Amino acid sequence: MRALHLKLLRDVGKMKGQMIAVSLIMACGLTMLIMTRSLIQSVESTRNAYYERYHFADLFCDLKRAPNAIGNRLAQIPGVAAVDTRVVGRMTLNLPGLAEPADGLIHSLPEGRPSQLNLLFLRRGRLPETGSRNEVAVGEAFAKAHGFEPGHEIAAVIHGAKQRLTIVGIVLSPEFVFESRPGETLPDNRRFGVFWMNERELATAFQLSGAFNNVLVDVAPGQQPAPVMAELDRVLAPYGGLIAYTRKDHASASRLNDELRVLHGLSIAFPTVFLSIAAFMTSAMLTRLIRLQREQIAQLKAFGYSSRQVGSHYLQFALVIVLIGLSTGTVAGMWFGGNVVSVYKRFFQFPALTFHPDISAIGLALLVSSGAAFAGVIGTVRQVMRLPPAEAMRPEPPAEYRTSLLERLGLGKLASPAFRMILRNIERRPAQALFTALGLALATGIPVVPGAIRDGIQFILNFQWDYAQRQDITLGLLEPGSASALSDIQHLPGVLSAEPFRSVPARLRFGHISRKLGVIGLPRDATLNRVLNEHGRPITLPPHGLLVSAKLAEILGAKVGDNITLEIQEGKRPRLEAPIHGVLTDFAGLAAYMDLEALHRLMREGSTVSGAYLSVDSSRLTDFLSRVKECPRIASMAVKDAVRGSFQKSTAEMIGMIQGLYFSFSIVVAFGVVYNSARIALSERSRDLATLRVIGFTHREVVGLMVGEIALLTLVALPFGLGIGSLLASGIIHTASTESVRLPLVLTSRTYATAVLIVLTSAVISCGVVSRRIRHLDLLAVLKSTE
Amino acid sequence: MPAATPEPQPNSSSPPEDGRKPLFSARGLEKVYTSGAGEVRALNGVDLDLYPGELVVLLGASGSGKSTLLNNLGGLDLPSAGTLTYQGRDLAHADEDTLTRFRRDSVGFVFQFYNLIPSLTARENVALITEIARNPMTPEAALALVDLADRMDHFPSQMSGGQQQRVAIARAIAKRPEVLLCDEPTGALDVKTGITVLEAIEHVNRNLGTLTVLITHNATIADMADRVVRLSDGKIVDIQRNPNRRSVRSLVW
Ligand SMILES: Nc1ncnc2c1ncn2[C@@H]1O[C@H](COP(=O)(O)OP(=O)(O)OP(=O)(O)O)[C@@H](O)[C@H]1O
Ligand SMILES: [Mg+2]
Repeated sequence: MRALHLKLLRDVGKMKGQMIAVSLIMACGLTMLIMTRSLIQSVESTRNAYYERYHFADLFCDLKRAPNAIGNRLAQIPGVAAVDTRVVGRMTLNLPGLAEPADGLIHSLPEGRPSQLNLLFLRRGRLPETGSRNEVAVGEAFAKAHGFEPGHEIAAVIHGAKQRLTIVGIVLSPEFVFESRPGETLPDNRRFGVFWMNERELATAFQLSGAFNNVLVDVAPGQQPAPVMAELDRVLAPYGGLIAYTRKDHASASRLNDELRVLHGLSIAFPTVFLSIAAFMTSAMLTRLIRLQREQIAQLKAFGYSSRQVGSHYLQFALVIVLIGLSTGTVAGMWFGGNVVSVYKRFFQFPALTFHPDISAIGLALLVSSGAAFAGVIGTVRQVMRLPPAEAMRPEPPAEYRTSLLERLGLGKLASPAFRMILRNIERRPAQALFTALGLALATGIPVVPGAIRDGIQFILNFQWDYAQRQDITLGLLEPGSASALSDIQHLPGVLSAEPFRSVPARLRFGHISRKLGVIGLPRDATLNRVLNEHGRPITLPPHGLLVSAKLAEILGAKVGDNITLEIQEGKRPRLEAPIHGVLTDFAGLAAYMDLEALHRLMREGSTVSGAYLSVDSSRLTDFLSRVKECPRIASMAVKDAVRGSFQKSTAEMIGMIQGLYFSFSIVVAFGVVYNSARIALSERSRDLATLRVIGFTHREVVGLMVGEIALLTLVALPFGLGIGSLLASGIIHTASTESVRLPLVLTSRTYATAVLIVLTSAVISCGVVSRRIRHLDLLAVLKSTE
Repeated sequence: MPAATPEPQPNSSSPPEDGRKPLFSARGLEKVYTSGAGEVRALNGVDLDLYPGELVVLLGASGSGKSTLLNNLGGLDLPSAGTLTYQGRDLAHADEDTLTRFRRDSVGFVFQFYNLIPSLTARENVALITEIARNPMTPEAALALVDLADRMDHFPSQMSGGQQQRVAIARAIAKRPEVLLCDEPTGALDVKTGITVLEAIEHVNRNLGTLTVLITHNATIADMADRVVRLSDGKIVDIQRNPNRRSVRSLVW
């Protein structure tokens, strides 16, 4: 079969432009497929190994205070494989180079017994030594953000007492793969850190000597967690136990899961779109090729090549496209994947996260791309196989033309002869024109996606930080305090106004489903932190009942009017009921709001506050911050501008990458589709064009005919493309919408204009290429050829 | 043009004097094409025997069914009715695989429009066939037979029509076929070039003993044949034996 392979090679060489165009479109889909699947595989396997090796717990439970001896009782619960009891608390940090205080979570390390669960990975230095004082190990992300190394000292306030801590080790923990304040969408590693300290010292600091306030449980393999959780809750109830929760409610673990879920969605949606276009294009190209090579097919058959051999010869053209697409897609997938991993490394802390190409993904890519290509050409190839050799010997009957629809409608006089030719050409091969227009529409649609993502994020930022959260600073108190605490805050220097809020940690339960979150009580006439509807208008909180995120209602399966159980995780931990009074569309996290007074009534408490929203005179901000740093009762503080800045910094890079990816995809598709269909049209019409040239048409007029057809299709495709793009964006945003972030669909004229511009530019360039080919068309050779 | 010896009609398809067995045997062969415009009876009851080593010329007006007959003989097409055997094997009802094998092993075709693969050189065009044949000669040997040893690495576009047609002949005979079927091989060539092509065909017929069927519109060419078959409206109207067939060189043009 060597000679046939030579033919394949030379034919491919002659049509390399078109083949590369199709291959690249295929490569886009495969890039996405290989990238996402490899990422899933890399992150999942790294995570699983990490969780496994470092004994990430299955169940978690906070409590008020239980004597250490209770730990043994917990270990006896049937189904429990291992138990660790710890002291966990919040601390604030006064860091040089950071005007506002940072905060963190500090955990105890067992002394005199081995750690069993959530083991630490030691990056540098050592763990605090038994009996040592003021030694801490610190999470790597925070240490990196500040350049901390073992030996550095930091000033902290733990449970109201100032302490100087010495960093002795830089560590990672499986419970802080996503090292951020629980519930936050993006990490803010400069202002939040995690720490570990010796148990005795930390317990003393939190006045928990001989006791613990946090439990980690490993469920024995094959055991159901539910009964273990029930038993945990029962045993710990007298000690102020909060309800135990699984990894699903674990901030870091669930954030990581969300990310993987988004990747899964993308790994299906994208390849499907691109491979379909590639299949159409392969089909158009091969159909044309086979028409051109009719006589060659006849020869091969006449000389004894079987239909199968001839068919497989033409399938090999598709295979070449697949192979080029696959290798390009593999390389690009690896490259983009490597880049995404380096972004992930900033968000997700693993001892080692490397990009592992998923070999099975490449196999899958080969399978789906050859599937798509073959599906595109199988009909044509079957035709070749069925073509009787004697039939193939005769040239194809002349193309049938008819007057175009426009003319049949009697409007022909409106069109110039050239325009009429264009219309007839389009009508003669409606399927081809349709696919070209479809490809162009998709090319127009693709760049709409990153624009929508960018604008969606911008919308959230504005919405959240300019309309909803109009405070400059959010202060959280260590322990809920009384009204006097509020007036203390109000008298801090520079405070213009202060609004209290109450945050009650609770588990909201409806039927079997529950979610942990803080129920926020706000003053009804709040002017700083306001609850807004999706149009940005303030919502007045109902006098009783809850206002919850639509996403929360959806997760719980509850609707307005349903009674939700609130398992309060504070104070006496009552189980309360409150109706859902309304839902609101919000964009990040899950929220439940109540009128502050109503919440107080529900909790049967006075005017307790958890913190306050402040508007601060910016000229006195430094004053304010240095006073706050001295204030032991304040557990956390968020300065809006700082948070916004860090958020923008970390999203900018992500958006930049997404944009780069989508823009290159779109250019490839636009250029590929236009170039390919122009080449096919040129090949079909080179005789006509040559004839026109010979009878005296100028080069410009002839090019006008070719380009006119594409221009017409492009113009038709653009509006559809913008529609498709909007659908695509909405689909992808929907796929990427999780409990932590839900982008709104924001489509701006800037996005649309960018998309149109990309397609028009690609179309103009590829028309230019085709026009050059027409100029170099060898008139005589074309006219002499048998076709 | 010297007159050929007429032969009585009833015996037209009977064996020549030596009593050898025919290679092809057709009886009542019919081919009907049904197209949108209606039925076309391209072959309408053809009886014909063809013998090893013969050179048979098919003559007839345009549309008389010559190509159709040739295509049926070569297994490119199936007849609508009648019998057609090759060495006693049924070709009229053969399945596709059998026909493919038959074409691959036994038949060489030469067509009017040289029909080379444009992306392959002369040598590669021939190799295309020798690679799948049972007992081929080398492409080089085949090309030498048609006197093209010095053009082996030229692409079709770099050769004249006559040269291309000789490559086509080399390609057809490289497999050492038992049958060589030529459909107007000189139709697109000038006389002089046509002669070189016919010489190549004659050479193959003489020296390899290949049954050769040649369609032409040029009655002069008939003089190089052992037998001349005339077709009209899908029927054989006349078969003439040519007892002293002439070499291509000596034909009077
Ligand atoms: N595939 C087909 N479909 C319909 N009619 C056909 C087909 N092939 C041949 N014919 C008809 O059959 C008849 C015989 O055709 P054929 O090609 O055998 O003639 P020919 O003798 O070779 O003519 P020429 O000298 O012009 O090549 C013609 O009328 C032709 O139009
Ligand atoms: Mg013919």
